[in-house]
Formats: sequence, C-alpha cells, structure tokens
Amino acid sequence: MSASVRGRAWFERLTAGAKPIAGLPASVLAADASIDGHAVRAVAVVPDPNGRFPRARNGEMGIDEGFGLATAVNGTPAGSAILAIVDVPGQSFGTREEAVGLQRALAASTNAYIRARRSGHPVLALVVGKAISGAFLCHGLQAGWIGALDDAGIEVHVMSEAAVARVTRMERDDLARVAREVPATARDIRTFATLGGIDRLFPVSNPSAPSDADVAAVVHALTEVLRNPRLGLRDPIERLDAPAALHARALARRVRDELRAQWDA
Amino acid sequence: MSLLLAESFAERSARDRARALLDAQSFRELLDPFQRIASPYLEAQGVVPQSDDGTVVARGTIGGVRACVVATDGRFLGGSIGEIGGAKIAGALELARRDAERGTPTRLVLALDTGGIRLQEANLAILTVSEICDGIVALRELMPVVALIAGRVGVYGGLSLSTALCSQIIVSEGARVGLNGPDVVETESGIDEMDSSDRPLIWRVTGGQLRFRQGFATELVSDDVAVIRAAVERAFEEPRELGPLVPQPFPDPRLERDAFLRAMEIEP
Repeated sequence: MSASVRGRAWFERLTAGAKPIAGLPASVLAADASIDGHAVRAVAVVPDPNGRFPRARNGEMGIDEGFGLATAVNGTPAGSAILAIVDVPGQSFGTREEAVGLQRALAASTNAYIRARRSGHPVLALVVGKAISGAFLCHGLQAGWIGALDDAGIEVHVMSEAAVARVTRMERDDLARVAREVPATARDIRTFATLGGIDRLFPVSNPSAPSDADVAAVVHALTEVLRNPRLGLRDPIERLDAPAALHARALARRVRDELRAQWDA
Repeated sequence: MSLLLAESFAERSARDRARALLDAQSFRELLDPFQRIASPYLEAQGVVPQSDDGTVVARGTIGGVRACVVATDGRFLGGSIGEIGGAKIAGALELARRDAERGTPTRLVLALDTGGIRLQEANLAILTVSEICDGIVALRELMPVVALIAGRVGVYGGLSLSTALCSQIIVSEGARVGLNGPDVVETESGIDEMDSSDRPLIWRVTGGQLRFRQGFATELVSDDVAVIRAAVERAFEEPRELGPLVPQPFPDPRLERDAFLRAMEIEP
C-alpha cells in the first residue's frame, strides 16, 4: 500500500503560514490557522515511515496517533473552532497495539473531540481521503459538520474488503453485489452521503494536489459554516434529522421513537 | 459460608443476563422480540435475521433505583451492532441523560458481548456508534456509566472504543477487550503478527486479567452471577476512579514482537 499524501496536502493548503504545534508525534499535524478571520485549530493524521510502531507507518490510527491527536485537540485555544482533516486508512493492526490497549488511544481522541464540541468549540471535518472504521470514529465522526471531496478515491467503511470477506465468509464478487443492494455496505462517498453522513460534497480537480480553485471552494464553504457556529456544535445523533437520513435511517429513527414511547411504562 | 456452586453469567442469553442484573421481578423489556424490529439487510447477505436484532433493552431497578440494562447477544452474528442495536444503545443513553437532567436518574448498564460493528450494515452502524460514544461522554458528566464485559466474545471494534469511554468498567476473567479481533489482525498483518488460532496467546494479550492489571477496568470478576450483580451495584454506589485516557508506559515498540510482549510481562 502506498501512503497517501492527501491529508498533508490539504492540511498545508488550509493552514498556509500557520506555525505547526510542537510536541506531537510526526504523524500528527496541528496548527492554529485563520479562515476568513475565524480561529481554527486544524489537525490531521499523516503517514510517518519512521514511526516507532511498525504497523502504524502508513497513516493508520495507532497508539501514538490516538493519544497525540487527543493532545492536539485538548489544547485548542479558547474561542477556536477545530477542523479535522481526514485521510485515515484504518487503525493499526498489531499485537503490540492490542497488548498496550489500542481501544484507549482511539477513545482518547474521540473523548477529546466530544468534550471540545460539548464545551463550545465548533468541530468541522473534511474528508479528503480514506475514512475507515475506528480511525473515522475517533477522527472525524464526532464533528458537528462533515464535508468531503466528491472523488472516487474517497473510501468510507468499517473494514478493508479483504478482512470483510474473511469475517463474513463472502466472496469479493458477492460483496460487490451486496454493496449495490445494501447501500450501508458500499465504500464510495456518494453512497455514504445518501445515509445522511455528509453535509457537503466538493467537486475537486486534484484531490492529492489541490488547485487554488479547489482550495477556494472549500474555504468558502468552511467560512459559511464557521459563521454559523451552531452547525459545528451539533451532536452526532442530530444526523438522524438530516434530509437524507429521513429515508435512509428510517429504522433507526423508529427505534429511537419507540424506545422513548416505551421507556416509562 | 454458602457452598452453592457459582451460577455462570456468560452461559446465559442476553435476555437472561439483563434479567440477572435487574432486581428480581423488575425486568421489563423494551422493543421486545414480539414487536419484530429485525434487520432488513441480512437476508440479501445470506443471514437469517433475529427479531430482537441481538440487542436487548430492559428496564427495571438495580439496588431499588430505576435502571436500564442493554445486553448484546454474542451468539447472534458475534454480538455485532447493526442499525437497530446501535439505535437501541444510543437511544437508551439519550433517555438516561434526559432522566439525569430531570433529577430522576436511571442507572444504565451496558452489558456488552460484541465483536463490534456489524459488517453487513457497516456504515449505518458506524453512524450509530458515533452517537453511542457521544451519549456515553454526555451521560458520564452526570452519573456513572457502567460497562460490563463478561461474555464469551468480549468487546472489540467500535464498541471497545466506546466502552473505554465509560466511567466504570467491569471485566470478567474470561472476557477479552481489544480493538481488532485476532482474525482481522491476521488478515491485515499476517500470521507472524497474530495467529488467530493461538487462543491462549489471545487471552494473554487482550484478556480481562491483563486489562485489570493495566488499570483499564475498575473491577475484575469471576463468571458468577452473584459476584457480577454485586459489582454492578457497587459501581453505582461506590464508583471508583478510572485513570484518565492518557498513555501508560510501554516498552519500545521497535522491539521484536515477542520481546515486546515479554517486556510487558506477557508470555508470547
């Protein structure tokens, strides 16, 4: 697998001129930028071929990335929004990580995003590459507003196709058929948007080396969102009310409503 | 001292686990199987759905106080969380928070036995798990949120991440707590990284005993209903402080795998 350059490319363009935050692992980028006069702490997880955990060198969320991201998010200055730039191929798959307790590292950054949002920092996410599984849960999915590039190279899922095939004992041809019948199992960003998971899709000419026009379109949209802080402060459960979710997540909405009705007998 | 044999918790169904945790005669199931809210996505994928979708929500009392137990069924698709099960958990968290804010708290126990997100409902499920994480953190600010991991599967994946956010975590000696299941690690990284058939190693690396020793659980219990009931009640009556989500010292990860494990006092 070749490591993706997208996360770093978008981070650099969106934080141009801002000083990087020191004291983080090399795989965690953070900087305090200004977007149309709004203070924004931008954070990204990027590949570090020299990372000390051998299974976390291609941009995966590992021990250092989870805890490092938590540090970066927890340090957000008062009055600043947070922008998560998402290009994460998954979590790291290693015995060392499991022994150390990878679930806690990912919980640390999840917790940091949730607490930041709940204490009044608008949290925005921009998906520019892969957003897989636990890595997306702990870096992106806690945002109140999520934008994504409208690009075939984006992948949203809970596991690699090979591992899904093994665990479900389905052939890969079958998985492709199922993805057409059950949109929740598809991997492309447009189908994910039909579930109400994405607030805005951006056409883009070059996702790995964004043009000035690509960047300008994203900055324009981020500016609109930052002007209305309520958008970045929404809880994830509010996505059930997204227009697309009314149909695609009707079952989850029904469960929520009936649970409420039956809660106090 | 009583000479009664221990009554196994792990051998019980999800419904019977919920019943066992609630005070006698207080069990009332919500969205029970007769309401037939089953996953519509499974048949196309060669799986027979179950009419509770593998997640049981029950109200009742614990120690005489209003309570709700959510229990997942490790025997149905590995206890995996799909759209319905995820919405049940997220919904229970939301209602427990509403109750706490109103000054009529409901004790919420997440009795999880799950391999994580259900692959057959992948992205619908991950959306609900993001709601579960948020719901746990929001409720934790108001009252203890108790996770009980005492089943045959343990907790993995997105639900293991969620569980780590709880304020009280009870693990059994037989349970496992990990992010990636052994099958997945082996598929992604090769058999030298993880041999998913080496069960003793898997327990040494992710088992309840290690997690308690690491300070990642507030209590370690044996597979005994009475012991587990007492631990759950204690988690609300005398909550213990779980350390913050910061890294603990670990050996140099550049060490060979086996040397790394030995340095953690785990026999490879």
